[in-house]
Amino acid sequence: MKEGKEKIELIKEGKRLDGRGFDELRPIKIEVGVLKRADGSCYFELGDNKVIAAVYGPREMHPRHAQDAKMAVVKFRYNMAPFSVDDRKRPGPDRRSVEISKVSREALDPVIMREYYPKTAIDVYVEILQSDAGTRTAGINAASVALADAGIPMKDLVSSIAVGKIGGEVVLDLNAMEDNHGEADMPVAMVSRTNTITLLQMDGRLEKEEFERGLKLAMRACHQIYELQRTALIDRYSESVDVGEGEA
Amino acid sequence: MGRNKGIVVPGDFLGTTEEFTSGMGVYDEEGNLYASQIGEISISDKRVINVLPVVETPPILEEGDVVLGRIEDIKDTVAIVSIACVKGKEKREIAAPTQGIIHISNIKKGYVSELKQEFGYLDVIKAKVLDVKTLRLSTEERDLGVIKAICMKCKGDLERKGNVLRCERCKRVETRKISEDYGKGMI
Repeated sequence: MKEGKEKIELIKEGKRLDGRGFDELRPIKIEVGVLKRADGSCYFELGDNKVIAAVYGPREMHPRHAQDAKMAVVKFRYNMAPFSVDDRKRPGPDRRSVEISKVSREALDPVIMREYYPKTAIDVYVEILQSDAGTRTAGINAASVALADAGIPMKDLVSSIAVGKIGGEVVLDLNAMEDNHGEADMPVAMVSRTNTITLLQMDGRLEKEEFERGLKLAMRACHQIYELQRTALIDRYSESVDVGEGEA
Repeated sequence: MGRNKGIVVPGDFLGTTEEFTSGMGVYDEEGNLYASQIGEISISDKRVINVLPVVETPPILEEGDVVLGRIEDIKDTVAIVSIACVKGKEKREIAAPTQGIIHISNIKKGYVSELKQEFGYLDVIKAKVLDVKTLRLSTEERDLGVIKAICMKCKGDLERKGNVLRCERCKRVETRKISEDYGKGMI
């Protein structure tokens, strides 16, 4: 990783630079249905990350040769705004955003019931408005909520978070400073109910024991995020319905 | 899970296959039933469990649906229609292929000798779905047929004059299978 220049002390007296503990998430804010034009949308904040996700479709797939006769095709586009980082980000797709789009799509694919809508495309647009490390996890969280908001049948919601290693310690949810000067970064996406991991990447090095500890940390955080996603969706839609007394 | 406040989201546990028969918005995994949509639970007398969606769901075409579309091509015996939306669900795009066809025998009750007499290129039409798989449409009923058309020569708007359409600009008269709602702007 990017070591060498100057050693920054990322951990002081058992706390991180922003005062968080090792297993503490940044504050999360979720808003459902923020866009009028999109079929489903979600605004997601993870600390200083600000992400918006919009879902269109399923709608007829063009070009026709790209259609799948058996199921819908998910098109995922991860894009960073030019103003989302410290220096201006050159707009347009690049190696990084193409890769993130691919892995994010594959993280969501297993929960979307694509076979209900053959020959169609589901467009998922994730726009990073402000970035502070962990944008792909924020994007997946947002996209998953936006897909549910669009009324697309899904088996479950997908939750996602990163873990990493800074100053020799395995910690949850790195921020930009920790990501740039740390030893490792590992984003994880998971289906909460079944504990199915749908995305797992790693940048840097971790010992086997550290990896296992980190994964456990990430999985626990995914359960927390899942609850927040669920609450956000229920809060959004229980307004429009009379207080039900239903019990399953 | 006992934490339902009336509304469930995808992945929420609803019950088992021993308790319920799964209905709409419900899926079965290893004998357990889970919600696949955001919605309210409803259990029928026959213990069919449904999740009634509280979000707008993607519209799909069903037999008998009234659709709006535009004539894309006219052949000897069929007209090709690109379907834009389903009546009642105009806001959202159709989640299925949208190229329909109207056969000459499904245009109106009487005999049609020439398809060009009934439809023109770029006409906006209202039609009923006869068959979902092949997307065959019909305009036989009184309220179905052309609801907006342009003049073949000058592309001006056609006005309804009795049983024919007349171009205000070039005074040309054209024939169509006209819907009762022609030119009213109502769907």
